[in-house]
Amino acid sequence: MKINKMLFVSKFEELRLDALQSLMGLRKAGMNHVVFLHVIQRENVAMRRGIGYFKQEERKLKEIADIRFIDWAETLFEEGMEVGAHIAVGHTVPKILSVAEYEEVDLIVTARRKRGKLEELYAGSETSDLLRRTVKPVLIYNYSSQSGKVGENPFERLLLGLDWSVSPEKMLDFVTAIKGTVKRVDIIHVLREKGIGKLSKTEVQKLERENKKRLGEVCNVLIKERFDARPHLYIGNIEDQIKGGASEHRATMIVLGTESKSIWKERWSGSVSHTLANKSDLPVLIIPAGIR
Amino acid sequence: MAKKVLNVEDDADTRTFVSTVLEENGCIPIMAVDGEEGMEKVREERPDLIILDILMPKESGIKMYHELKTDSSLKDIPVVILSAISKRTFLRSQAALTEFGDETVPEPRAYLEKPVEPEDLAELLKKILG
Repeated sequence: MKINKMLFVSKFEELRLDALQSLMGLRKAGMNHVVFLHVIQRENVAMRRGIGYFKQEERKLKEIADIRFIDWAETLFEEGMEVGAHIAVGHTVPKILSVAEYEEVDLIVTARRKRGKLEELYAGSETSDLLRRTVKPVLIYNYSSQSGKVGENPFERLLLGLDWSVSPEKMLDFVTAIKGTVKRVDIIHVLREKGIGKLSKTEVQKLERENKKRLGEVCNVLIKERFDARPHLYIGNIEDQIKGGASEHRATMIVLGTESKSIWKERWSGSVSHTLANKSDLPVLIIPAGIR
Repeated sequence: MAKKVLNVEDDADTRTFVSTVLEENGCIPIMAVDGEEGMEKVREERPDLIILDILMPKESGIKMYHELKTDSSLKDIPVVILSAISKRTFLRSQAALTEFGDETVPEPRAYLEKPVEPEDLAELLKKILG
């Protein structure tokens, strides 16, 4: 796996040049091409009863985005990077998917995206929609969160959350691909508190041993690749424990795998990766099981 | 004989503008929307001049220019840059590419910052193509 080309999706309010520059550590891992995407929401320019399409407004918004992208591109070009840009009118998620496919990017970077309350109720957040539909790794980059700005290199200390329902192989491939920029990897698996409530002490110990063994195996793969990697087994609510673990080990990013689930299945069974992507203060990198 | 001019440009309005100026000045316009398609058209059509934008999808004009000028069979085709990206950035980016081990490339025949007046472009065409 290689991370040569990154799609950087920006509305300009949440992810700006400083956020982009904080990701330049990926150059050590071979990234040499950044593609910008700005999506002008259809409702800002689309037809309204008695008014029609706001062609002038579309032009103005495109011009504003273009000027910003030119400024960013100049900075990156001068550093020897390859840069491309797309400005489109439409719905964010389909545009991200089509540009990611067209440009054959290796990583999508976007801020957390929400919809109106009513729309989220039946359609979920845009972030979840994107994660459900893409086969590319997605970095949900909460660059300026309540706890302040993310540090200089968000890839420095990774917290790898493993759920055995998703093979860790793809996640390890990704982490290995960005080796040059990672300093430390903490690998965590959380046993559900509910799941162990009815087990005897011996059964819990067995479960603990089995999981520690699996964690150790994953950890050894990274140690062989010369990573500073440590395994951790936690018990409790998965989201809370991952968030807690991230803070305990001073992680700069949470990395999770995800299976593609239908929207309804996700609604009923929930999805740890989607929940954390929607709620975590830290950047969350999601590696889909069906990654291409 | 009419000269073939390739315009590599992702913006449809600018493509229309350039092709109109080209036709009015007796040239045959050939269009490409990004650097990747641009390189294909260069190899197929062997244009007499290339008018090249910088910031484009797929492959930028920076990379395409570098490819053109480091290809012995294509490096003599004159290139005019027509872009909103500054000339300073263009030259620095070429220097940065050279730093990574490639050979030095010459400056483009002309560098026009957008927007360009039709008369200025026409005059430049006459000067380069005769």
